[in-house]
Amino acid sequence: MSGFVIQTENLCRTYKSYQKQEGLLNSVKGFFSRKYVEKRALLPTTISIEPGQIVGLVGANGAGKTTLLKLLSGLIVPSEGEALVLGFRPWERKYDFLRKISLLLGQKNQLWWDLTPNDSFQLLTKIYGLSTIPARRRVEELSHLLDCEHVLQTQLRRLSLGERMKMEIIGALLHEPEVLFLDEPTIGLDIVAQSKIRDFLRDYVHKKSPTVILTSHYMDDIAILAHRLLLIQKGTIVYDGSVNHFMETTDKEQVVSGKFQAPLSKNFLLPGNLELNAGKKEFHLKIMAENLSTFLPALIQVGPIDELKIEKVDFEDVMHQFLQAESSIR
Amino acid sequence: MLCTNFFRRNLAFVRLAVITNLEYRLNYFIDAVLQPLMTAGIEVVLWIALFQATQSQQFAGFSRESYLSYALWSGFMARVSSNWMYEFRMIFDIESGGINTILTRPMSFFEYYLSQFLGYKGITTVISFIFPTLLSFYLDLPCQLERFPLALLLIFYYLILLFIFSFIIANLAFKLTRVGSLTIAKNFILMILSGELFPLDMLPSQLKKFMLYLPFVNGTFAPTAFLIGRTDVNQISIGFVSITIGILCLAPLAIYSWKKGLTNYVGTGA
Repeated sequence: MSGFVIQTENLCRTYKSYQKQEGLLNSVKGFFSRKYVEKRALLPTTISIEPGQIVGLVGANGAGKTTLLKLLSGLIVPSEGEALVLGFRPWERKYDFLRKISLLLGQKNQLWWDLTPNDSFQLLTKIYGLSTIPARRRVEELSHLLDCEHVLQTQLRRLSLGERMKMEIIGALLHEPEVLFLDEPTIGLDIVAQSKIRDFLRDYVHKKSPTVILTSHYMDDIAILAHRLLLIQKGTIVYDGSVNHFMETTDKEQVVSGKFQAPLSKNFLLPGNLELNAGKKEFHLKIMAENLSTFLPALIQVGPIDELKIEKVDFEDVMHQFLQAESSIR
Repeated sequence: MLCTNFFRRNLAFVRLAVITNLEYRLNYFIDAVLQPLMTAGIEVVLWIALFQATQSQQFAGFSRESYLSYALWSGFMARVSSNWMYEFRMIFDIESGGINTILTRPMSFFEYYLSQFLGYKGITTVISFIFPTLLSFYLDLPCQLERFPLALLLIFYYLILLFIFSFIIANLAFKLTRVGSLTIAKNFILMILSGELFPLDMLPSQLKKFMLYLPFVNGTFAPTAFLIGRTDVNQISIGFVSITIGILCLAPLAIYSWKKGLTNYVGTGA
């Protein structure tokens, strides 16, 4: 397994849950006898990740991405299969392993709710066995980069979501982890906070080169930060490659949008089976790149145009289409 | 180095408990002072009423003052030797996924909560025991303060056993999710077995003899009776032995329930 920071072989996890039908009678029935169902959240998965790679793990809710993250960070035990992270079996939770990783959960506070961030960082310094002065210097440096020095002495519970997330990031990076698991680090944040955190993470990984596994529902996070993309669907990895390669291999659609000078007097049917309706001035159409040469002359024939814009379909749209298509196949 | 890290870390957890609890002053005051003061007050009033109603000078060989002193001290001893608060916190952490933070950091759930628990009990002891001490002097009740360190040592040793018990109950939350009612049931049983509800001297002698060999009496009865001069150091020695046996019996169960629990754990909330 040398040469890789993370390597899994047929790693899978099954959850068992109690199935309850609605209603009072079924509640009474369920008190005496219960029906359990097994759900395979992650089907046998084999991946290898090189040092310093930033891997974007993308999938719909319940696809299995968080399960994979939990397995790799040692939070849960696999049902079957094997995994090594930095040479350790994660679920054995050896302290030498835990000192080298960090798990940041965007939806869950990991610092202490009743303490000020400074008190929390002091506690983390002791937990990770760090030297006090360098750790303090590191907090100063990170809080300066995240522009949040002013909240270090305020109780965590009194901070805004964005400020709290910045504190969580400092807490996660305090011990300079070699592997960083980021689960939705920008969830619920406003656009400014999202971009601030994104920029910070991009600079941080550029400087320190940790291996990062990142899950996010904001595709900008993945597009900007990730070198490699793992698309997961119903517990299976359905794509493993670079973001650029993914964009190239998926259908090359372009978005053509604009405005005619006057509302259309009748319906028009354009190449590619695209329809323009009577009475409308604005249009917004998706067309395959290779059809543009026949589409544009036909569009100009419809009537005088005021505005015209041709754009590539963004990453989020491509991802959405891809996952939808995969979902219908499986 | 490993040892130094361990002590630094656990000292930090003790500090965490003190900081967190002192943050909410009213809550802390009620928990550490008002609640045991009220419990002791009610018991003292009951014993006064009982002695007045029966016109007796003694019960089971002990005087009115001895019972009043027992009622006063046992209220505070029982408060120090209870663990419902940290037990609920452990259960909640497992139910809600708060444990994720602990599992992915180089520390153990057991040491994290044990150190906090002992830290909290330490600060509570210092503050809350001022009141029965002052009241004992004021009311001239029997109390041998030179016995206090040994009584306290016994309680703190008992707290380790009690914590292991709580840890096992909390581990059930991995499988059963809601186990709060077990804590309540356990507390009620311990209230009787420890002598918090009434002094064990009032029990039939054979039953009392049996109960004095159980580790649970070391939560309230043994240290209180020793402090007010009802028992001698022999009972304290029995206490240390019974707690040690209790710890040795519960430790394998604690390890097993923890390992089993983690296998079932689904990483809630993440």
